[in-house]
Amino acid sequence: MSALDLTGSPSAGLSGDLSDIVVPSRKLVVEGVSKVFTKRRDRVVALEGVDLHVEDGELVCLLGASGCGKSTLLSIIGGLEEATEGRVLVEGDVVVGPGADRGMVFQGYSLYPWLNVADNIDFGLRLGKWSKARRKERIEELLGIMSLTEFADALPRELSGGMRQRVAIARALAPEPDVLLLDEPFGALDAQTRRHLQDFLLGVWHRTGATILMVTHDVEEAVYLSQRIYVMSARPGRIAEEVVVPFGRHRGSQVKRDPRFLDLRDELADTLG
Amino acid sequence: MGWKIALGAAGVVIVLGTWWLGAMAIDNPSILPTPPDTLRALGELWTDGVLTTDLWASIRRILIGYGISMAIGIVVGISIGSFASIEAATEAPIGFLRYIPASALTPVFLLWLGIGESPKVWLIVVGTVFFNILMVADVARSVPRELLNAAYTLGAGRGTVLSRVIMRHSVPGMIDVARINLAAAWLMLVVAELLAAQEGLAFQIVMAQRFRAVDTMFALLIVFGVIGIVSDLGLRWLRNVSSPWARP
Repeated sequence: MSALDLTGSPSAGLSGDLSDIVVPSRKLVVEGVSKVFTKRRDRVVALEGVDLHVEDGELVCLLGASGCGKSTLLSIIGGLEEATEGRVLVEGDVVVGPGADRGMVFQGYSLYPWLNVADNIDFGLRLGKWSKARRKERIEELLGIMSLTEFADALPRELSGGMRQRVAIARALAPEPDVLLLDEPFGALDAQTRRHLQDFLLGVWHRTGATILMVTHDVEEAVYLSQRIYVMSARPGRIAEEVVVPFGRHRGSQVKRDPRFLDLRDELADTLG
Repeated sequence: MGWKIALGAAGVVIVLGTWWLGAMAIDNPSILPTPPDTLRALGELWTDGVLTTDLWASIRRILIGYGISMAIGIVVGISIGSFASIEAATEAPIGFLRYIPASALTPVFLLWLGIGESPKVWLIVVGTVFFNILMVADVARSVPRELLNAAYTLGAGRGTVLSRVIMRHSVPGMIDVARINLAAAWLMLVVAELLAAQEGLAFQIVMAQRFRAVDTMFALLIVFGVIGIVSDLGLRWLRNVSSPWARP
């Protein structure tokens, strides 16, 4: 159990190895969120009493098998669905509906096909109170970070799946959201592109200092990317355990051969079943 | 590509050839005229000035009537496809009204609106507007959920989602709807002109019938076909130019 850090109640906060965060501040807090779907006389409890939080600048994964309600939870955090009980706070403010403070990236097909790459990134900037000069600057900055500069004028249909997801991440990051929510963003990609984009996401995270909550069902992806992992169990969906990943922010792909990495991966895979 | 063009040409030749052979076999231009007879009749229509005045009279009715119908179709259809409340409120009446054959309303419209231009225009509107509404609503409903959610999480309100996402995504689909239902508009126009008109392509067909001028009737039918092809190509072009992203 050396690598697993079990905290009975996540709200107990700073237990375990979070030494590289000096002054923690909670960007995102989820308190007692439940979600019940009622269809005629059927009553399905999708989520039950979910508590979690993400610190400023942290990259946290929400890991679970398909159907455990993790995407529903992310939708609730994004404000796209309403919780039956409980609440979500971003920077201490209760979330009511979707907003530009929470950027979101979906599994696929969410780019506007009639807008080129630069205009897709610009979509959220146009809606915010950004001056024209700042918008241009911000778009160029993100195109650079995402290695998309030469594709600024391309339409989404001209891009590969991996590049499209890079544009989607750039678009979500553009208005400088407090939290970036990723809903299985690499789920529709082939294995090689997926690994490439995982490294890419780590690079983006380092360069932007973004706070990221990512949903995935891929154990290796969760261990490789995140600082903490919330493991979810299904029916009803709840947080089964909270795991601190014992690697620093800057980790190369060689970490995947570290015995602690392998142990943690196998343990989590067993938990998921 | 070469073989497609060759087969297309072969199709035209076969249809024309069958017509021509049939006409020669019957050998009676007042029953079935030959293609040259028909061409000659078309030339006469042109030199008489019939083609320009009557063609324009018919096209103007289509432009006004179908223009009104598309405008209503877009506004109501997009609203139905975007808002569940509007969908619920309109479902029953539209479901009932669309099953009334619009041509059956011709006598009613003549009674209400007289025999001028307005009954013809409104017949075109009534004969096409329900198809336009329902099909545009389907187009609006087919906007992928993730495109809407992405906009909301980028800070868009409902109005912005409607104008920047739903409307924009629906442009090529709405042009397709316009293209498909245009045939129904011409159908209604012919019904209206056959019953009561002083000018128009279908009115000219009725006139030609009185003189047993089958060649003139055929010439007018060909004009209808050409208008159909030209408008179809025009709308396809508009779709590609307005929405190159949706090109197949």
